[in-house]
Amino acid sequence: MPDHPNDQPAGRLTRPRVLVVDDGTLIRLYYREALEAAGFEVGEAINGIEALEKVLSERFDLVIVDISMPKMDGVSFLRTLRGQTGEAGAIPALVISSEAGEQDAAAARAAGANYYLIKPVAAPDLVLHVAVLTGMPA
Amino acid sequence: MRPENPLPATPEIRITDNEFRRFRDFFYRRTGIVFSDAQRYYVDRRLSDCIIAAGSRGFPDHFARLLTEPEELERLISMFTVNETYFYREEYQLRCLTSTLLDRITSHKKPGQSIRLWSIPCATGEEPYSMAIWLLENWSHVDSWDIEIIGSDIDTRALQAAEAGIYSERSLMRLPRHLVAKYFTVIPNGQYRIDDALRGSVQFSRVNVIDQADTGRWRDIDVIFCRNVLIYFDETARRTAADNLYDSMAPGGYTCLGHTESMSRISPLFNVCRFPEAIVYQKPGEGIHA
Repeated sequence: MPDHPNDQPAGRLTRPRVLVVDDGTLIRLYYREALEAAGFEVGEAINGIEALEKVLSERFDLVIVDISMPKMDGVSFLRTLRGQTGEAGAIPALVISSEAGEQDAAAARAAGANYYLIKPVAAPDLVLHVAVLTGMPA
Repeated sequence: MRPENPLPATPEIRITDNEFRRFRDFFYRRTGIVFSDAQRYYVDRRLSDCIIAAGSRGFPDHFARLLTEPEELERLISMFTVNETYFYREEYQLRCLTSTLLDRITSHKKPGQSIRLWSIPCATGEEPYSMAIWLLENWSHVDSWDIEIIGSDIDTRALQAAEAGIYSERSLMRLPRHLVAKYFTVIPNGQYRIDDALRGSVQFSRVNVIDQADTGRWRDIDVIFCRNVLIYFDETARRTAADNLYDSMAPGGYTCLGHTESMSRISPLFNVCRFPEAIVYQKPGEGIHA
């Protein structure tokens, strides 16, 4: 294990960190189990506001965002996220929606999503997309 | 029935025939559970244990306390209700849930809407947590819906244990080992603590299934697991319980009973559905809640 430079959070040198943002408890648990089993470190938030607090205070390599959430939905969250200066504003975002509609996909892309998936997402597919978006070797 | 307490009976606590009848009527009114004369020995032993544990002087003294002190009544209910269960008990119903029931329910909903599952009585939580684990492991649409799992029981001590989520090896005997490793942590006393996130996925609440004031707080339930409790009730209490469950269900929702129980003998309100894995009871009106 290499020594960590003082200005570098330990997680960066070990496993990619992914923030799962979804208001469904069981859904977060499902994504977390899949990602942890594949070697990712996972944080959770239940809406856009909580997610913003987390990405501004901790370092994440990817956010996975549900479109439909109470308080601050996925699109509003992405717009606000992309408005941030510094590293937080540039975090790759994978949007996952329950709706197959083109409207949601277009809104997500316009708000700054890097990739868009439609639920249900099988665990191996999720891991594959997360690995690509975080640059983790498969 | 559970093995008897090995402690010798205390000779001072004697329950007379009249006291037994008073207690039996009282317990029935509060819980719907009926004791027969054949269970007299069991009732006397448990009742004596309660009286001694509470420091009461005898039956009349303790009976008065049961009427005025809610915590003594809770303790008594806890002593008399059977809370032994285990994860993945009657697994065929969980299989029915994911192979048939949820597909039918979701066909009338929009993706992202909530699905409400209710385990009543849930005892110490094995059943509602089993539902959560089963869905995570076996339902490919688990991330498409907002799944709410509610665990309810009359016994507040059992609910506290459910919320703590600590289980013995015995409770986990039917759960595949890789799932035990995935969702539980061994704690120093050799027991198993359930994953925190899984613990957070079930909402626990005290509900007496024969009390409409309790069950009335729950509405639009899509699937109820009410297993192995109605067998303890008499006909009147069973009917009341069935009516209460019916009122809490969403139109088109399903109730699953224990494998020895049949709703057909209790209530005419439900449609009997014979699926390959299980017989379940549906509230008519599928599609009304679309």
